[in-house]
Amino acid sequence: MGRTVGIDLGTTNSLVAYVDAQTGKPKCIPGPYGSTLCPSVVSLDPGGNIIVGEPARKRLLTQPERTIYSVKRLMGRGLADVQEELKLFPFRVDAESGKVIRVQLGEKSFTAPEISSFILRELRNWAEAHLGETVDRAVITVPAYFDDAQRQATKDAGKLAGLDVLRLVNEPTAASLAYGLHEKKRGLVAVYDLGGGTFDISVLKLIPTDEGDIYQVRSASGDTHLGGDDIDNLLQAFVHEQILQSDEIDFSPHEEIAQELRKELIALKHCLSERESATLKFPLPDGKTFEFEFTRGMLDALIRPVVDRTMTPVKRALADAQLKPEQMDEVVLVGGTTRTPLIRRTVHDFFGRQPHTELNPDEVVALGAAVQANILDRGVSNVLLLDVTPLSLGIETYGGAVGKIIPRNSPIPASAQEMYTTGVDNQTGIDIHVLQGERELAKDCRSLARFTLKVPPAPAGLPRVEVKFLIDANGILQVAAKDVRTGEQQQIEVRPSYGLNDAEIERMLEESIEYAEQDFAERQVIEARTEAEGILAATNKALVGDQSNAIPPDERSRIDRSVAALREAVAGRDYKLIRKRIDELNQATMHLAELVMNTAISTALKGKSVGEV
Amino acid sequence: MSPLSANSHVPLVCTSCHERLQGPFICGTCGKLQPTEGTDYFALFGLPRKLLIEMAGLERKFLRLSWKLHPDNFVNATEQERELSLKRSSELNDAYRTLKDPFARVEYLLAIEGERKEGEKKQQAPPELLEEVFELNESLDDLREAKAARSDVATLKEKLHAAEKSFSVKLAEVDAEMQATARDWDKALDAGEEASRKKIMARLNEHLNRRSYIRNLVVSVAKELAEA
Repeated sequence: MGRTVGIDLGTTNSLVAYVDAQTGKPKCIPGPYGSTLCPSVVSLDPGGNIIVGEPARKRLLTQPERTIYSVKRLMGRGLADVQEELKLFPFRVDAESGKVIRVQLGEKSFTAPEISSFILRELRNWAEAHLGETVDRAVITVPAYFDDAQRQATKDAGKLAGLDVLRLVNEPTAASLAYGLHEKKRGLVAVYDLGGGTFDISVLKLIPTDEGDIYQVRSASGDTHLGGDDIDNLLQAFVHEQILQSDEIDFSPHEEIAQELRKELIALKHCLSERESATLKFPLPDGKTFEFEFTRGMLDALIRPVVDRTMTPVKRALADAQLKPEQMDEVVLVGGTTRTPLIRRTVHDFFGRQPHTELNPDEVVALGAAVQANILDRGVSNVLLLDVTPLSLGIETYGGAVGKIIPRNSPIPASAQEMYTTGVDNQTGIDIHVLQGERELAKDCRSLARFTLKVPPAPAGLPRVEVKFLIDANGILQVAAKDVRTGEQQQIEVRPSYGLNDAEIERMLEESIEYAEQDFAERQVIEARTEAEGILAATNKALVGDQSNAIPPDERSRIDRSVAALREAVAGRDYKLIRKRIDELNQATMHLAELVMNTAISTALKGKSVGEV
Repeated sequence: MSPLSANSHVPLVCTSCHERLQGPFICGTCGKLQPTEGTDYFALFGLPRKLLIEMAGLERKFLRLSWKLHPDNFVNATEQERELSLKRSSELNDAYRTLKDPFARVEYLLAIEGERKEGEKKQQAPPELLEEVFELNESLDDLREAKAARSDVATLKEKLHAAEKSFSVKLAEVDAEMQATARDWDKALDAGEEASRKKIMARLNEHLNRRSYIRNLVVSVAKELAEA
């Protein structure tokens, strides 16, 4: 048996973490690019290779039609659910999609669980390279407000990545676990988690007992389609409109330019978290440069609707827990989007206390997942998580109404029994429609599953079938039926209405092997060499140009040494060394790059190295 | 039915080490989960079937049992043990959810005693409320009509607010009656008065039905007002 890790499968970035046996502390694992964040971007190169993370993110600019980001928004969703998404995101949905959406990457198409499995596989590779051991078990985090279908899709993705998913843990719960261990917190805690594409609010109580600490979730609420992505969309729409007005350029058909702008705007957004104003300089296709000064006030006004939308679930979670904002002992901010000053201020004012931000909001969920992975791996522990189901479970009754059988915020595992009988003589089946949600009508709730109970022919009202609905510790539904008269058990396979069935998963598993076999280290070497060749070529070009005369001799010799060192590294197979030499050459050519740029037209690209120009 | 008869399915010895069992669910000797069926929620917490339950004590027991039963503790156990843990911990959670809520608790007690009766009575207004309910329904109709015709709803809303208040007071009265009857039940149980218990259960049943009727009214009025 291999190692067990914790994985945060995020909308924008994904991370993998483990608990260090020596220190007992959780740690995030860096990837080949040095960062612990793996962009949740997947690309299919023309050679048919799957590319994940940072190199895939670069391909968003060069090969957008073969690349996908924010795929988490499609997990467990049907085509009808994602119409809004399709307007805002460049998802190329395969017209041949069945009930499970398939997304086109170049000439092939994949389901969302498959694409997520590529990300999980990449993280698994990171972990195996770092730990020097096989990794085959994982705890994966999901938004607390994920419904059954979204959870099942995440579990399927784990399976497709060759991982035994020990547990799906809710992101805010994982975060509070990381914080609790860090600070030994006590009492009532509100976790406000705004990520790239999802929002969660959880209210927990941390209870010390003789056996250990219990993390008891009192209530959870959220919105699985609300996050930093939405802020980026607002910014993009705003700037697009400005450009349209001032320069009369409509680049919506040019996806590459749209992606380039999006990248610049995300950088600008991050910049405005630190400073009061920032200027966007964006080269337009007609050779002009669009310049616009953003102040933090403008950004705040623009994103206010997003921040306001988060407060409805916050109030609902508190009401469900029968608590008031001022009763919270601690408030914790999680998710990269909570770096936004407006969000910090809004949360601070609402709860009347300073929210905790000590742990890196990007890493804290993965750290908590690693802690839970370690607990489950060892089987014994002094920490116990007691979570809840965020949505009510119901059954469709006469007239399309919903009968609630497990109310929202019930502790999980949770179950409910219902007794069924027939309405007409010799009826052989009873149709059951299971739903999740708070609305009164079945059509307004989320359809989880439909199935037919088999009944032996008998006079109406005589058969008695007891159906047991059980939500397991992952928040996933299981159904079992028993004929009360005969005691006979009935096997019911419940797959979500928008989920994959076992046969589909098996087939995808077989297909995934062809992608899995590409050796991780081999791929890293190839990617590092490609990048090295790019920067070597650019350096050579710059050194023969006029600007090279302006370089002092000692700087010139430093560049030459770095070039030689990189060439030597490229001849070898150590991708980490190649990356190190690339960084060194980038450092050495910083000044040269500036000179190149001064002679070139664009002033918007300042601060970049030769390799990036 | 005697209060303890539902426990008859609980095995007397552990299915694993065959030592004598001290309570439901877990063997005190070897720690293995037991395949007990039909343990009622009160017995599960080691409580008599009384209606007044001390909340802090219930929570302590709930947390202690959670430590022992939660699936997190059985990730590396056999398939059979994992199944049992899932079943037992879901029962524990269901039991806690039910006993924590004073009304769900009464409803559950009546159900396991075979005395819960709702059916057709549920939709019927309690006789002493008939007049008021009739008036309320009329006002609700008026409000809907006025909304549809976009005419002035202010006076109607005022009337409904008053009705909502009046029914909320009635709801509080039922709750107080329920409390008193619950106390009677506990006393009867202590005294072992078999005959009075049936009568008390009939009263509890009546309280529950009346309560659910009034509550539905209050909720629908509040909803109508919120939309107006």
